[in-house]
Order: sequence, then C-alpha cells, then structure tokens
Amino acid sequence: MTRYFRETSVALALAALLLVLAGFAPSFYQAQPLLSLAAREAPALVVTCGMALVLICRQIDVSLGSQLSVCSVAAGLLASLHWPLGLILPGSILLGAAFGALNGALVAGLGLPSIVVTLATMVTWREGLRWLRQGVWVELPEGAQWFGLSQTAGQWTLIGVALTLLALLALAMKHLAAGRFVYAVGSDAEAARLAGIGPQRVTFAVFVLAGALTGLAALMNVAQSPQVDPNSGTGLELKTIAAAVVGGVAISGGRGNLWGALAGLVLLACVGPALTHLRVEAYWEKATHGAVILLAVVADGWRGRRLKVS
Amino acid sequence: MKSPLKSILLRHETVLLLILTAEWWFFSAAGRNFGTLDNTFDIIRHSVEIGLLALAMTAVVLTGGIDLSVGSLLGLCAVLLGMFWRDAHLTMRVAAVLTLLAGALAGGFNAALITWLRLPPLIVTLGTFSLFRGLAEALTHGVDTFTGFPEAFLFLGQERWLGLPAQLPIFLLFAAGIWLLIHRTTFGRSFRALGFSAEGARYAGIPVERRLAMVYVLAGLTAALAAIVYTARLGQAKADAGTGYELLAITAVVLGGTSIFGGSGSVAGTLLGVAAIAVLNNGLVHTRQPREVAGMLTGLLLLAALSGSVLLKRLATVRQRWQSPPEATERTSS
Repeated sequence: MTRYFRETSVALALAALLLVLAGFAPSFYQAQPLLSLAAREAPALVVTCGMALVLICRQIDVSLGSQLSVCSVAAGLLASLHWPLGLILPGSILLGAAFGALNGALVAGLGLPSIVVTLATMVTWREGLRWLRQGVWVELPEGAQWFGLSQTAGQWTLIGVALTLLALLALAMKHLAAGRFVYAVGSDAEAARLAGIGPQRVTFAVFVLAGALTGLAALMNVAQSPQVDPNSGTGLELKTIAAAVVGGVAISGGRGNLWGALAGLVLLACVGPALTHLRVEAYWEKATHGAVILLAVVADGWRGRRLKVS
Repeated sequence: MKSPLKSILLRHETVLLLILTAEWWFFSAAGRNFGTLDNTFDIIRHSVEIGLLALAMTAVVLTGGIDLSVGSLLGLCAVLLGMFWRDAHLTMRVAAVLTLLAGALAGGFNAALITWLRLPPLIVTLGTFSLFRGLAEALTHGVDTFTGFPEAFLFLGQERWLGLPAQLPIFLLFAAGIWLLIHRTTFGRSFRALGFSAEGARYAGIPVERRLAMVYVLAGLTAALAAIVYTARLGQAKADAGTGYELLAITAVVLGGTSIFGGSGSVAGTLLGVAAIAVLNNGLVHTRQPREVAGMLTGLLLLAALSGSVLLKRLATVRQRWQSPPEATERTSS
C-alpha cells in the first residue's frame, strides 16, 4: 500500500469518469462550458480547503454554507454602496472569520460537539438572513461583475486564485509547524496537549480560518453574476464534506490532504454535468452525492476491517 | 446532604417545566387565540411528528451516536407511502405497513454501516441524509405530489377521536413504549451503558453491535411512522416532507437534558423539550412573528441549552473546589 493510496484511487476514479464521458458523452468536452464550470466551482474549492482543515482537526462545520450566503449578501450590499474592492475583500473575510470565531469559541472554549454547534449556527444565520432580506436578490453595480475584467479573464482569475490558495495551504499543512499541529490535534488531542500543543487554540484557529476562507469564497461567488442570490450557499457544506471525505480526509480526523480534497471536488463537480450529458434526470444529483459519500466511507471502512482482520 | 425537595427542584426537567409554564403564560397574554383548546390541539397535532422523531433520537443519542437522516427518511417514507397507495394501488393499510418496513430497512442500512463497518454515525447519517432526500426527489422527479388520500386515513391526522386529536393516542402509546424500553427494560438500560463506555459495556456482556443496530433500526421505523402521521395531517405527500426535522429533534433531546455525548438522559426530558419547542413555535406565530424568527430562536435555544449545561457543570466544579479541603484529589481537565 503506497502512502497516498486513497488519493490515488480517487484520481483513478476521476480518470475513469472522464474516460466514460469521453466515450459516451463527448459533448461534455467543450472549452467554454468547462471553463465556466471550473470558475463556478472555484469558490467551492476554497471552502473545501477550509472544511478539509476542520475535518482533519477532528471537527465538522456544517454552517459554512450559511456563512457563504451571509457573506455573499454582505459583500453584494457593500458593492452596491460603491465601496472599493480593497475594502470589500477584507470586510468579507473578516465577517467570515467572525462567524468562524463564534463556532470556534463554542467548540474549543466550551467543549461542545461541533456538529450540534454548527447545526445551530447554520440554522440561525440562514433564518436570520431570510428574515432580514426576505429572499431579495442584491443588485450589483455596473462593472462589479468579474471585478471589471472580461468574463474569460475573470474566470481564469478566480480559478487561479483558488488553485494558488490550495497549493499554499497544502504546503503550509505539510511544512509549517502550525499545519502539523492540526494533524496532531486531529489524531489525538490529549497526546497533542501533553506534547505542548494547545488543542483548544488550534481548534479555534481552524474554525476561524475556515470562516475566513468562506468569506473569500463568498466574494469570488459574488463576482460571477450581476446579482447576488441569497441562497447561494445552500447545500455547500454537504458538497464540501463529500469532496473532502471522498478525497481521503478521514472524518475521525488526523488523516488526509488538500490535493485529495481537490480530486474529490472535481469528481463531484463532474457528476452533475455528467448526469446531464448522459441524459439522466438532474434530480438524481443529490442522491448521487449521498451515494458517493457513502461509497467512499464504506471503502475506507472495508479497507480498515480487512487490515485489522489480516 | 441535599434535601429531597432541593433535588427535585434542581433537576433539569423541573427547570424545563418552569420554562414551559413561563412560555405558556407569556404567549397567552401576548398573543391572540393562544390559550384556546383548538389551538392547543393544533400544537399537539404539529408536535406529534417531531415528538416521535425526538423519542427515537433520544435512544440514539443515549448510545453516544447521532442520526441526521431521520428528517430525510421521513420525506422518503412519505413519498413511498404515496407511491404504494397511488401507483401500486395497494390499500392504505398495506401501504402503511410496507412504509414502516421500508423505514426499518433504511434504519437497518444505517445500522449496518455503523455497526458492521464501524463507521462513525455522523458521516454515515450525513451521507444517508443526502441519499434519502435525493431518492425522494428523484422518485417524484422533484415536483410530484401525492394527494387525494382516503377519508379514513386523513381522519388520523386531522380529526378528533374521543375529543382529542386522533394522532395523540398513537403518540402516547409510542412514548409510553419508549419510556418503558429505555428506563425499565435491561435492553434499553444498556443504551446508557453503551453511550457511557462501549468497551465497558462489552466487558459487561452487552452485545454492543446488536444493540446499536437496533437503535438505528428503531429510528428508521419511527421516521416511517412519523411520515404516516405527517401525510395524514397534511393530506399530501411531497419529497420535501420533514425538512429540518432532524435539527428540531436534536434540539428537543438536548433541551430535555440528554447529554449529547451519550450516557445520560431521560424520555420525560425529551417530551418536555418537544413541548417547549412546539409552544414556542406556535406562540411566535400567534404574536405575529415571522417564521424565520422561530427558526433563529430554535438555533439559539439549542446553543443556549448546550452552553448552559456545560457552564453549570463547570460552575459546580468550581464550587466543589472552593468547598472541599485543599488536600482533596485534584481533578484532571474536565
């Protein structure tokens, strides 16, 4: 078993899917739609990085989708007030970080289970946003879309930003002590504490980082269309958890890397259009996502059992 | 030595009862039509489905697990009920029994992954949360709705029997059964042992995997039962039935004093938690608050309940340190 067995198998599954598409639905391979797909998924990639970090730390954050919605609407409102991009960017990131800090304080400070805390904050932000905005879309001013660049340039910018961020974070996770601390706390918080790493600080920081990344992703999301959809974050948390888990990040923490999460996200992102091109009804998408999560987790569990028994 | 009266007063359930009473008074004064019998029956009708889910969730949480898929399973079972009745032309009774079976099977699917493959309940039920809802949407092509159920069936959800809402006897019977199971049978009492320490339970001779499996099968069965009551009450079955119900069930369970980490809790607490949430939701409607406020308050209520119990425990630890002599055993990090 090579060290990166899990990530390699995801990459192989992705390759298989792409081959099937090349054979049965070659219409999938067109430059412009693929570019648009990649740009649409760029914000999700950024959030997936944050989610992967939280999962590696043996926590979970299902409120990232609602955070994205709130930050998107906030960024849109600031843009419609003609604030410069140089202020909206840090504003959105700080707002996301603030949400993350709240989650982190409750989980790290009070020791509450992250699933329940983030379920509660997810509902609170979502309902609060709906109450304040009543589902109204935010109109962006002229020139706000694609940051004022052409569509293609804007799309490549977003993709570039997402991939650069991914590479930087992956490097940090591997080579920076802070990155290794996340793995340590996720593997065994008590051992990490005895080794001098403060698990509470690391957990708090991870939630803040996930929130900040979500704030950035919200801005990337806002830049793609002339209006802001207040429901843009719906279902995002499930998608990013699926991407991370499929990509080899263990839900029990301590294992996985961001490149695997990237492969997982690409795989999941291709499922939707693949279904369309293979002429399967779009309504099977959610069921497929759930099935993919379960398949990935079952495969892990099966391997674990076989290793244990042998 | 605490006096017995003080022990009763400081119990979690008593506090909840006081909160419930306060809610009732507040909304009776602030809202119109709140304290009427009709409205009370309305509250009961709405809370039966959540109550059923919360009761099953109590058993699951007691074992230290969680089941996020119950809401989606309710939706899937509602759709299946509609399909059995309308498309397969079965009688309502047969359709209902088949739906219950389907729910148990779905619960069994969760159980198999959790006990046989030793996967964390969180990720398994997160996956089935998506899968079940997705299946419901796919089966109905996203838009199909099942209506036109027979009168006799709708009686269950909408009419009164012996002067009380017809679904209430079902709920009371179920609640009594769950209470007996969890608090009086050795089978059910083992749930708390599992939640407290699975390995310890194993050494005590409890068949850990089998008990865990039963808990999740029970949750699936309950979701199916809730789906039947839901469909009878609304008169229609759609794929989005039960959306968000898992959160309400978890909130009720945690409000009721069951520890989210497993090992301690009570059915009475859960019932009070369900009542508190139902009264809150209904009261907010009657004081003309928008639906979103109810949603926000539920989330905040859950956070408050969780934080409250942890903070109280920490306070108790601090008090203990103050009161006991210095050479008392040093407590490790809690």
